[in-house]
Amino acid sequence: MALYIAKRVGYALITLWILSLIVFFAGQVLPGDPARSILGQLAPQSAINALDHQLGVDRPLLTQYWDWITGFVHGDMGNSYQFRAPVEPYISAALQHSLKLAAVAFVIVVPISILGGVVAALNVGRAPDRIITVLGLSASTVPEFVSGIVVIIVFGIWLDVLPISASWSPGASIPDQVYHLILPSIPLVLILFGYIARMARAGTVEALDSDYARTAVLKGLPRGVVIRRHVLRNSLVPTVTVIATQTGYLIGGLVIVETLFNYQGIGLLIYKAAQEKDFPMLEAGVLSIGIVYMVATLIADFVYSMLNPRIRFGASE
Amino acid sequence: MDENQRRLDTIRGRRDEIENHVIDEFVAGRLSRGDFLRRGAVVGLSLPMMAAIVAACGGANSSSSASSGGAPGKPGGTIKAGIITPSGAIDPVTVLDQGGLDMLAQTGEYLCLANSKSQLVPVLAESWSANPAANVWTFKIRQGVKFHNGQPLTADDVVYTYKLQSDPKGKSNALSAFNGIIVPSGVEKVDDFTVAFHLTAPDANFPYVCSSENYNMIILPNNYDSSKWEGSFIGTGPFKLKSYTAKVGASFVRNEAYWGKKALPDATEFTFYDAQQPQILALEAGTIDVVGQFSVQGGQALLNNPKVTVISVRSSAHRELSMRNDQAPFTDPRVRQAVALTLARPDIVQGLFQGKAELGNDSPFAPVFASTDSSVPQRAQDLTKAKQLLQAAGHGSGFSTHLFTETTQEMPAFAQIVKSSAAKIGVDIALTIESPDQYYSKDWLSGIMSMVDYGHRSVPNLFLQAPLQSKGTWNAAHFKNSQYDTLSAQYIAALDLQSQRTVAGKIQNLLLEQTPVIYAYFYNYLAASASNVSGVEPTGIGHLFLFNASKA
Repeated sequence: MALYIAKRVGYALITLWILSLIVFFAGQVLPGDPARSILGQLAPQSAINALDHQLGVDRPLLTQYWDWITGFVHGDMGNSYQFRAPVEPYISAALQHSLKLAAVAFVIVVPISILGGVVAALNVGRAPDRIITVLGLSASTVPEFVSGIVVIIVFGIWLDVLPISASWSPGASIPDQVYHLILPSIPLVLILFGYIARMARAGTVEALDSDYARTAVLKGLPRGVVIRRHVLRNSLVPTVTVIATQTGYLIGGLVIVETLFNYQGIGLLIYKAAQEKDFPMLEAGVLSIGIVYMVATLIADFVYSMLNPRIRFGASE
Repeated sequence: MDENQRRLDTIRGRRDEIENHVIDEFVAGRLSRGDFLRRGAVVGLSLPMMAAIVAACGGANSSSSASSGGAPGKPGGTIKAGIITPSGAIDPVTVLDQGGLDMLAQTGEYLCLANSKSQLVPVLAESWSANPAANVWTFKIRQGVKFHNGQPLTADDVVYTYKLQSDPKGKSNALSAFNGIIVPSGVEKVDDFTVAFHLTAPDANFPYVCSSENYNMIILPNNYDSSKWEGSFIGTGPFKLKSYTAKVGASFVRNEAYWGKKALPDATEFTFYDAQQPQILALEAGTIDVVGQFSVQGGQALLNNPKVTVISVRSSAHRELSMRNDQAPFTDPRVRQAVALTLARPDIVQGLFQGKAELGNDSPFAPVFASTDSSVPQRAQDLTKAKQLLQAAGHGSGFSTHLFTETTQEMPAFAQIVKSSAAKIGVDIALTIESPDQYYSKDWLSGIMSMVDYGHRSVPNLFLQAPLQSKGTWNAAHFKNSQYDTLSAQYIAALDLQSQRTVAGKIQNLLLEQTPVIYAYFYNYLAASASNVSGVEPTGIGHLFLFNASKA
């Protein structure tokens, strides 16, 4: 098991290193110039050149990369070009925001989706299955900017029961923060429900068809016990992986939801950083999302191995 | 009337030649009351004096600016506003975006303010005057003003601020406004409360360069490091900083030690938004009281909402559609005229702006400018004439060309209109619509057809120089015309409005004939407030002043 985890951690580190290369060099091909972005389109070229030199973006790329990545490894994420301040507090605050929103969305969507998938699987071909499948598919095809505006208008303006902005006052309590995050979570729940429920349904259908489930039924176990002890344990294995792979989206891919609900998450932060050529902010943001994603994937692998002994035994051999 | 004449003569006796010329024009009826107030302020007549002159001529004073209106508000309360997120650090030297300039003006103050009617109002300067050549301007600085840290305002602060911002080796965003007008050595302290500006060329509208139009120019304390301004928001204004969080928002409290009329609200709160739509939804939901700016495209929900007051400020903001005068087929003015004649401008103003814009007449002289010669005939759609012009220029069967523009507000839609309009005379335009960064770095000044955005200015000086003069640095049309260069220099140096108007008419006719650039419309600046909020005052350039705001 230790070897299995060590291998996974090793792969994760290699992946992060490759990600650092991609984000750094991809950032360089973005059109525009950092100094131009700071001083404006109308600033004279001499001022642009001077500021580029001051920022160090006129040095060889490999030198810039080495300085950045060694700083990052030592905990120095660099200084924002736009805000002329260390990047770390911006990344840290935005990441916390994104994690909170992701957590609320997860807490809502995971049980609902698994329940929906299992109910559909237990009613294969019948009305509940069709309703859940069609609703799930339909919901996941509605873009966030559509569902977001609809929920804002319905719950925030017409019914006036939920705040339309996800920003809470400084020092707000945890329940107050969760209250502010309910509305922005709904578009995410709609997007993810269909996908997770479909995976849960497929896994449950497969498990219900398996020999061990049939044996459990034949030996007289009640249906509920069969589902709880034999079916769910096996059917949820792929679902856990699917949930983990959504982490990247939920942490860094919510630019539209964050914009619509005026929420300062990390997706919006790195999107703006890319627009403004704020490379330190962009690179640190993407790498931070990568780290969170890797950690989530590692946890999922660990849970997967717990649920599926073949994985950990296979890895040990 | 004899009494009025006596009062007028008394006033005249104390004024200099330039000021008396403006008074004469008003008395003779060549200036409307609005134009008199606007032009009089530029040459240094105070508002009370102009009010007395207007009264002596049988009128009543009216210098109020566009605002959310209503009865005078009551003090107290907190006004919550939504504005676009400032794009970077709030540094008076480098701020170049609307969110940033909004922040500067909450606590900082200018020598004078260009209000929503483009009238100059004295702020930290009590008065100003020019020499007859209009190349030396002397500003009297208001006494008894203190910065938020208690330090008194003196000429040293003004001199320091202007030398800092006009230093050609510096990074000031104000340099584009100072270019060719003033250098640091031209800023002179005359005494503790008098500053003289020795210009490198005559400029009859120089006070506008010292106004809120040049939005970086809030007065800083002497020797203050502007890069640290975000930590203090130090200024002399009616509000003081309470808190500022980058990318999130800012809050301000009333400055009880303010030198002028105290702000009505106890406090203001600004929330930063990255897009227009969330601001509109927040206003509709009551989360905020004011939206600092919105555009018609995407903002229709506010235009017809009875619970919202839309504040519409006439402005000179526009798009310039340049055609390369040095590249075929646009070397021939007839071809350029033909393209301009394809546009149905009233339909464009209605379609893109729901009427909240004014027609452009292919010159930068917007209807809002007092100096615009309104007797110059308006160019209208004329496809027959356009085809004849193309035929005469040897392009009777049309031609293909390329238009480059940016993804800003209605510009892509306008580019599509230009394409479809030109197609009616056989001109096939391929469109390249890019992000502003891509456009400015690649195609702005090199594209054979190029459409760029220009923000509001109260006087057309900037629009007349860099984009159109032969050596202009933003001359995307590559227009080189010595007659134009002479006329534009004459206009800028002309002190009295009648002379400006005369030269403006010549420029307008010349540009109609040459059509290096198409100016199809000038669109209004739009802000909105909840209907129970009054006293919100935006300016055409993007400020949002809340010191007179109150909630019923």
